[in-house]
Amino acid sequence: MNPSQRRGLLGSALLSLLILLIVGAYYLWGEAWQARILYATFVNLLVVVGLQVFMGNANLTSFSHAAFMGIAAYAAAICVTPVAMKAISLPDAPWGLNAFALSPWTSALIALGITGFLGLLTGLFIARLTGVGVTIVSIAILVIVHSIFLHRTDIFKGNQALFGIPKVLDLPQITALVILAIFGARWFRESRFGLQLRACADDEIGARAMGVNVYRTRLVAWVLGTMFFAVAGIAYAFFLGTISARPFYFNFVFLTVAMLILGGLRSVSGAVFGTLLISIGLETIRWLETGPEILGIQLPQMLGLSGLMLGVVIVGVMAFLPSGLMGNREIEDIIRPKRQETP
Amino acid sequence: MDYAIQQILNALSFGAEYALIALGLAIVFSIMGLVNFAHGEVIAFGGYSMVIVGTLLTRNPFLLMGAVLLACVLVSVLLERVAFRTVRKADLTTGLLTAFGVSIILQNLFLLLGSPRPIPATQFIFLDRTITLGAVQVSSLQIYETLATAVAIGFLLFFLRRTTLGLAMRAAALDFEMVRLCGLRANRVIATAFAVSGLLAGLACIFIMARRGSVLPHMGFDPVLTAFVACVIGGFGSLPGAVLGGFLLGAVEVAVLVLLPQSYGGLAQAVVFALVALILVWRPDGILSPAREKGDKV
Repeated sequence: MNPSQRRGLLGSALLSLLILLIVGAYYLWGEAWQARILYATFVNLLVVVGLQVFMGNANLTSFSHAAFMGIAAYAAAICVTPVAMKAISLPDAPWGLNAFALSPWTSALIALGITGFLGLLTGLFIARLTGVGVTIVSIAILVIVHSIFLHRTDIFKGNQALFGIPKVLDLPQITALVILAIFGARWFRESRFGLQLRACADDEIGARAMGVNVYRTRLVAWVLGTMFFAVAGIAYAFFLGTISARPFYFNFVFLTVAMLILGGLRSVSGAVFGTLLISIGLETIRWLETGPEILGIQLPQMLGLSGLMLGVVIVGVMAFLPSGLMGNREIEDIIRPKRQETP
Repeated sequence: MDYAIQQILNALSFGAEYALIALGLAIVFSIMGLVNFAHGEVIAFGGYSMVIVGTLLTRNPFLLMGAVLLACVLVSVLLERVAFRTVRKADLTTGLLTAFGVSIILQNLFLLLGSPRPIPATQFIFLDRTITLGAVQVSSLQIYETLATAVAIGFLLFFLRRTTLGLAMRAAALDFEMVRLCGLRANRVIATAFAVSGLLAGLACIFIMARRGSVLPHMGFDPVLTAFVACVIGGFGSLPGAVLGGFLLGAVEVAVLVLLPQSYGGLAQAVVFALVALILVWRPDGILSPAREKGDKV
């Protein structure tokens, strides 16, 4: 293990400690309804950390994560829902999709497999592109997957809810998943592939001249990223019990991208901090949106305030802090600054 | 035969709308390398200003058209001043995300100050009549749209080729620093690009309003997404490419609607986007420019 990987382990451990502190605080003082918010935050955290794997290391903007999350959520949901329930929720599903039910583990594995395969397939195209090309093809993937969700109402129910998914996961399990994800993303960042990918982001021609296989590195990061989104999608479906196509589209994409760029896309710690900050901010604003009474003053109901804040965060960060709160730093760099290496 | 003519006219008018919006995107991109996703909200702003002016000041549709065009130009220039000037020197991703942010802000402002439900604004509906030409029935709106786009392209050509500012803009697309060294103000060139882009958005807004008759906070998003695709197909930042891409996309969309069975209508957008993804893999820089090796001098 080289020094930066050792620092990576330290950093991941610190971030995990932060996550554990938050969960501990919830169990000590939290109220029951906050469990849902915390769970949703952790699902977002999985997505944002997964985004960091490709977007952060390759410095390419991709918007298709909501699509992969949706695919995994639907695949897991369709596999795991009991037959009796599917007779009601999916009465005319083709190919006998409503005639079987699997255990949660098998369903999750199948969902991971399907998403991973689609990730590999799209990755073969994405890895060949650079710059805006990646963004456009990722938007194309998002739009295509969303249209299919809406079109095949017999399988996906479109904008209606697909209900009756058993609740498999709860807060302890997702906490474990988040910690695993943090370690995984950090391990990738400091691994050979992560270093190569970051080199390509800084100077693609230079990296190539040093013998980096740009295409393969990007492909590895892309597929690894989709696996994070798949886990997030499965976790989403296994907790909420109902899913629909609507959450897996642009609004969710903007939310998670805002979280990533607020923290700074180049570091895993940035992804974690951005997610936590925006989640806290959003909950405050959601409360303002409903028109509460503060100090005896009745505030008006304000729809769209949360979206407005997201936009302001994105524009503000881009204008004044282009590399986010953390920039290129990880959490351990703040606590124990890197010694200046002597040449 | 009549059916074919009908569909060709459909394709032309679809294409004209995409080309108008795509030109607005391309002219900004060619000069400052910004993928302006907030373009759709400029269009929506035109719609809202039409509602306001239409109820408060005048119901005369021609004055209203002028108001819409003016509103779009003003808001476009204002956006450049407030939001995009700070990221002018930043890389592509920063600009793209900023534009997305601006787009979200505007959409939610419309939601907050306007209404999440459509607000009717029907003053331009009169443009949409059915005319019988020989055996073919066409909508007058389709003809106006195609003609207006042709005229707009003509004016744009004249402006870019025959005026000093136009010459500066063409030069800026090639080498912005050189234009500044020649003594032209960067701010003025860029502001002009945004003004032209806003004018094109206003024109598109008039036709969109004539078709829908109501405004919604996110009404500009889908047309701009498609126009963005048109830009990509033609080669980003190339003005002829934007026009070509717009018309090509209109043709593809009509062809998909005609060829696919009725029940697959919802998949038209998916097919269009799949085609785009394939084109991009074949020609990463668009149809009009062959794939370049990385690191080649342009």
